[in-house]
Amino acid sequence: MNDGVKLAQEASSQDPAIGLRAVRALRHLTDRLEALQVGNARGLGWSWQEIAAVLGVSRQAVHKKHARGRLLGKGK
Amino acid sequence: MTMFERFQRDARQTVVRAQEEARRLGHDRIDTVHLLIALAGQGDGAGAQALREHGLEAEALRERVRLMPGLGAGPLDGDALASIGIDLDEVRRAVEANFGSGALDQGRAKHRPFGAQAKKALELSLREAIALKHRHIGGGHVLLGLLRASGSDNAALRVLTDAGVDPAELRATATRLIRSDAA
Repeated sequence: MNDGVKLAQEASSQDPAIGLRAVRALRHLTDRLEALQVGNARGLGWSWQEIAAVLGVSRQAVHKKHARGRLLGKGK
Repeated sequence: MTMFERFQRDARQTVVRAQEEARRLGHDRIDTVHLLIALAGQGDGAGAQALREHGLEAEALRERVRLMPGLGAGPLDGDALASIGIDLDEVRRAVEANFGSGALDQGRAKHRPFGAQAKKALELSLREAIALKHRHIGGGHVLLGLLRASGSDNAALRVLTDAGVDPAELRATATRLIRSDAA
Protein backbone atom coordinates (compact mmCIF):
# COMPACT_ATOMS: atom_id res chain seq x y z
CA MET A 1 0.00 0.00 0.00
CA ASN A 2 1.59 3.28 -1.00
CA ASP A 3 1.77 6.41 1.09
CA GLY A 4 -0.97 8.10 -0.93
CA VAL A 5 -3.53 5.44 -0.08
CA LYS A 6 -2.52 5.62 3.58
CA LEU A 7 -2.98 9.35 3.38
CA ALA A 8 -6.46 8.81 1.98
CA GLN A 9 -7.39 6.55 4.85
CA GLU A 10 -5.98 8.74 7.55
CA ALA A 11 -6.90 12.09 6.17
CA SER A 12 -9.70 13.98 7.74
CA SER A 13 -12.08 14.77 4.93
CA GLN A 14 -12.99 17.95 6.71
CA ASP A 15 -9.45 19.30 6.67
CA PRO A 16 -9.50 22.03 4.02
CA ALA A 17 -5.74 21.88 3.63
CA ILE A 18 -6.00 18.36 2.28
CA GLY A 19 -9.29 18.79 0.47
CA LEU A 20 -8.29 21.99 -1.32
CA ARG A 21 -4.92 20.55 -2.27
CA ALA A 22 -6.78 17.58 -3.78
CA VAL A 23 -9.03 19.93 -5.76
CA ARG A 24 -6.00 21.77 -7.09
CA ALA A 25 -4.27 18.52 -8.07
CA LEU A 26 -7.40 17.26 -9.79
CA ARG A 27 -7.80 20.50 -11.70
CA HIS A 28 -4.19 20.28 -12.81
CA LEU A 29 -4.70 16.68 -13.95
CA THR A 30 -7.89 17.67 -15.77
CA ASP A 31 -6.03 20.46 -17.61
CA ARG A 32 -3.35 18.04 -18.75
CA LEU A 33 -5.88 15.46 -19.91
CA GLU A 34 -7.95 18.11 -21.67
CA ALA A 35 -4.92 19.37 -23.58
CA LEU A 36 -4.04 15.82 -24.63
CA GLN A 37 -7.57 14.94 -25.71
CA VAL A 38 -8.21 18.20 -27.54
CA GLY A 39 -4.92 17.78 -29.38
CA ASN A 40 -5.82 14.22 -30.24
CA ALA A 41 -9.26 15.22 -31.51
CA ARG A 42 -7.80 17.99 -33.67
CA GLY A 43 -5.26 15.55 -35.03
CA LEU A 44 -8.11 13.28 -36.04
CA GLY A 45 -9.83 16.13 -37.85
CA TRP A 46 -12.42 17.18 -35.30
CA SER A 47 -13.60 20.76 -35.58
CA TRP A 48 -13.46 23.15 -32.63
CA GLN A 49 -17.26 23.08 -32.59
CA GLU A 50 -17.38 19.29 -32.32
CA ILE A 51 -14.81 19.30 -29.55
CA ALA A 52 -16.66 22.05 -27.68
CA ALA A 53 -19.94 20.14 -27.93
CA VAL A 54 -18.53 17.04 -26.25
CA LEU A 55 -16.70 19.11 -23.64
CA GLY A 56 -19.86 21.03 -22.88
CA VAL A 57 -18.32 24.47 -23.43
CA SER A 58 -18.49 27.13 -26.12
CA ARG A 59 -16.45 26.90 -29.31
CA GLN A 60 -14.87 30.23 -28.42
CA ALA A 61 -13.72 28.93 -25.04
CA VAL A 62 -12.03 25.84 -26.39
CA HIS A 63 -10.47 27.77 -29.26
CA LYS A 64 -9.11 30.45 -26.97
CA LYS A 65 -7.63 27.92 -24.61
CA HIS A 66 -6.08 25.52 -27.08
CA ALA A 67 -5.62 27.19 -30.42
CA ARG A 68 -2.67 29.52 -29.80
CA GLY A 69 0.17 29.19 -32.25
CA ARG A 70 3.38 28.13 -30.57
CA LEU A 71 6.09 28.65 -33.12
CA LEU A 72 9.53 28.90 -31.66
CA GLY A 73 10.50 32.52 -31.30
CA LYS A 74 7.87 33.86 -33.62
CA GLY A 75 4.54 35.59 -33.23
CA LYS A 76 2.79 36.29 -29.95
CA MET B 1 17.86 40.31 -41.16
CA THR B 2 15.73 38.84 -38.40
CA MET B 3 17.40 38.54 -35.04
CA PHE B 4 17.70 34.77 -35.21
CA GLU B 5 19.60 34.91 -38.47
CA ARG B 6 22.38 36.64 -36.56
CA PHE B 7 22.62 33.83 -34.02
CA GLN B 8 25.77 31.74 -34.07
CA ARG B 9 25.50 27.99 -33.67
CA ASP B 10 26.01 27.92 -29.90
CA ALA B 11 23.35 30.60 -29.34
CA ARG B 12 20.93 28.88 -31.70
CA GLN B 13 21.39 25.53 -29.98
CA THR B 14 20.91 27.20 -26.60
CA VAL B 15 17.56 28.65 -27.68
CA VAL B 16 16.39 25.29 -29.02
CA ARG B 17 17.54 23.47 -25.88
CA ALA B 18 15.84 26.07 -23.65
CA GLN B 19 12.55 24.90 -25.07
CA GLU B 20 13.43 21.29 -24.26
CA GLU B 21 14.35 22.35 -20.72
CA ALA B 22 10.97 24.01 -20.24
CA ARG B 23 9.29 20.87 -21.52
CA ARG B 24 11.32 18.57 -19.26
CA LEU B 25 10.46 20.63 -16.23
CA GLY B 26 6.78 20.69 -17.11
CA HIS B 27 6.73 24.47 -17.45
CA ASP B 28 4.27 26.16 -19.76
CA ARG B 29 6.55 28.72 -21.34
CA ILE B 30 10.22 29.37 -21.93
CA ASP B 31 11.60 31.67 -19.27
CA THR B 32 15.01 33.22 -18.64
CA VAL B 33 15.81 30.32 -16.31
CA HIS B 34 15.50 27.82 -19.15
CA LEU B 35 17.87 29.90 -21.27
CA LEU B 36 20.27 29.90 -18.33
CA ILE B 37 20.12 26.12 -17.85
CA ALA B 38 20.48 25.57 -21.60
CA LEU B 39 23.53 27.88 -21.69
CA ALA B 40 25.11 26.01 -18.81
CA GLY B 41 24.67 22.75 -20.67
CA GLN B 42 25.84 24.10 -23.99
CA GLY B 43 29.45 23.00 -23.63
CA ASP B 44 30.99 25.34 -26.16
CA GLY B 45 30.96 29.10 -26.46
CA ALA B 46 31.65 32.06 -24.23
CA GLY B 47 28.33 31.86 -22.37
CA ALA B 48 28.81 28.24 -21.30
CA GLN B 49 32.41 28.89 -20.41
CA ALA B 50 31.58 31.93 -18.29
CA LEU B 51 29.03 29.93 -16.31
CA ARG B 52 31.55 27.11 -15.80
CA GLU B 53 34.15 29.57 -14.51
CA HIS B 54 31.64 30.65 -11.87
CA GLY B 55 30.96 27.07 -10.83
CA LEU B 56 27.51 26.80 -12.37
CA GLU B 57 26.43 23.67 -14.11
CA ALA B 58 23.20 22.58 -15.74
CA GLU B 59 21.96 19.88 -13.38
CA ALA B 60 22.42 22.01 -10.25
CA LEU B 61 20.61 24.90 -11.92
CA ARG B 62 17.84 22.56 -13.02
CA GLU B 63 17.31 21.44 -9.42
CA ARG B 64 17.02 25.05 -8.28
CA VAL B 65 14.50 25.82 -10.98
CA ARG B 66 12.51 22.61 -10.73
CA LEU B 67 10.03 23.74 -8.11
CA MET B 68 10.09 27.47 -8.68
CA PRO B 69 6.56 28.80 -8.49
CA GLY B 70 5.01 30.78 -11.31
CA LEU B 71 6.49 28.85 -14.22
CA GLY B 72 3.56 26.60 -14.87
CA ALA B 73 1.73 24.22 -12.67
CA GLY B 74 4.71 21.94 -12.12
CA PRO B 75 4.52 18.21 -11.45
CA LEU B 76 1.20 16.47 -10.83
CA ASP B 77 0.48 15.93 -7.13
CA GLY B 78 0.09 12.19 -6.74
CA ASP B 79 -0.45 12.28 -2.97
CA ALA B 80 -3.23 14.83 -3.21
CA LEU B 81 -4.95 12.82 -5.94
CA ALA B 82 -4.65 9.65 -3.88
CA SER B 83 -6.43 11.41 -1.02
CA ILE B 84 -9.54 11.40 -3.22
CA GLY B 85 -9.01 7.89 -4.54
CA ILE B 86 -7.22 8.62 -7.82
CA ASP B 87 -4.15 6.53 -8.52
CA LEU B 88 -1.95 8.82 -10.57
CA ASP B 89 0.34 5.99 -11.61
CA GLU B 90 -2.62 4.17 -13.15
CA VAL B 91 -3.79 7.28 -14.94
CA ARG B 92 -0.28 7.83 -16.23
CA ARG B 93 -0.01 4.23 -17.41
CA ALA B 94 -3.28 4.44 -19.30
CA VAL B 95 -2.41 7.78 -20.89
CA GLU B 96 1.05 6.66 -21.93
CA ALA B 97 -0.35 3.47 -23.43
CA ASN B 98 -2.41 5.61 -25.80
CA PHE B 99 -0.33 8.73 -26.24
CA GLY B 100 3.23 7.67 -25.68
CA SER B 101 5.86 7.98 -23.00
CA GLY B 102 5.87 11.28 -21.16
CA ALA B 103 2.53 12.34 -22.62
CA LEU B 104 0.90 13.10 -19.30
CA ASP B 105 3.80 14.86 -17.64
CA GLN B 106 5.34 16.68 -20.57
CA GLY B 107 2.46 17.11 -22.96
CA ARG B 108 2.44 16.30 -26.65
CA ALA B 109 2.86 19.83 -27.92
CA LYS B 110 6.49 20.18 -28.86
CA HIS B 111 6.47 23.91 -28.75
CA ARG B 112 6.28 26.20 -25.81
CA PRO B 113 6.00 29.92 -26.35
CA PHE B 114 8.64 32.31 -25.10
CA GLY B 115 7.63 34.25 -22.01
CA ALA B 116 7.97 38.03 -22.01
CA GLN B 117 11.16 38.06 -19.96
CA ALA B 118 12.88 35.48 -22.14
CA LYS B 119 11.95 37.46 -25.26
CA LYS B 120 13.30 40.59 -23.63
CA ALA B 121 16.56 38.83 -22.72
CA LEU B 122 17.04 37.65 -26.31
CA GLU B 123 16.37 41.16 -27.68
CA LEU B 124 18.90 42.50 -25.20
CA SER B 125 21.44 39.92 -26.39
CA LEU B 126 21.26 41.59 -29.81
CA ARG B 127 21.82 44.99 -28.18
CA GLU B 128 24.79 43.61 -26.27
CA ALA B 129 26.33 42.31 -29.49
CA ILE B 130 25.78 45.67 -31.18
CA ALA B 131 27.30 47.49 -28.20
CA LEU B 132 30.41 45.33 -28.56
CA LYS B 133 30.37 45.97 -32.33
CA HIS B 134 29.83 42.29 -33.15
CA ARG B 135 27.76 41.26 -36.16
CA HIS B 136 26.70 37.93 -34.74
CA ILE B 137 25.12 36.85 -31.47
CA GLY B 138 26.80 34.06 -29.57
CA GLY B 139 26.10 32.33 -26.29
CA GLY B 140 28.15 34.98 -24.49
CA HIS B 141 25.85 37.75 -25.75
CA VAL B 142 22.82 35.68 -24.73
CA LEU B 143 24.27 35.49 -21.22
CA LEU B 144 24.82 39.26 -21.20
CA GLY B 145 21.22 39.72 -22.33
CA LEU B 146 20.03 37.48 -19.50
CA LEU B 147 22.04 39.54 -17.03
CA ARG B 148 20.76 42.81 -18.48
CA ALA B 149 17.03 41.94 -18.32
CA SER B 150 15.27 43.78 -15.49
CA GLY B 151 15.77 42.20 -12.10
CA SER B 152 12.28 42.21 -10.66
CA ASP B 153 10.83 39.69 -13.14
CA ASN B 154 14.04 37.98 -14.14
CA ALA B 155 14.00 34.58 -12.52
CA ALA B 156 17.43 33.73 -13.94
CA LEU B 157 18.99 36.59 -11.98
CA ARG B 158 17.35 35.29 -8.81
CA VAL B 159 18.70 31.81 -9.44
CA LEU B 160 22.20 33.21 -10.00
CA THR B 161 22.24 35.32 -6.85
CA ASP B 162 20.76 32.44 -4.83
CA ALA B 163 23.66 30.33 -6.10
CA GLY B 164 26.08 32.91 -4.73
CA VAL B 165 27.12 34.42 -8.06
CA ASP B 166 27.70 38.15 -8.42
CA PRO B 167 25.97 39.18 -11.68
CA ALA B 168 28.49 42.00 -12.23
CA GLU B 169 31.40 39.58 -11.97
CA LEU B 170 29.67 37.11 -14.27
CA ARG B 171 29.10 39.92 -16.77
CA ALA B 172 32.80 40.79 -16.63
CA THR B 173 33.79 37.17 -17.20
CA ALA B 174 31.41 36.78 -20.13
CA THR B 175 32.60 40.02 -21.72
CA ARG B 176 36.23 38.98 -21.40
CA LEU B 177 35.53 35.56 -22.97
CA ILE B 178 33.47 37.08 -25.79
CA ARG B 179 36.27 39.51 -26.58
CA SER B 180 38.92 36.82 -26.60
CA ASP B 181 36.71 34.67 -28.88
CA ALA B 182 36.27 37.58 -31.27
CA ALA B 183 39.94 38.55 -31.25
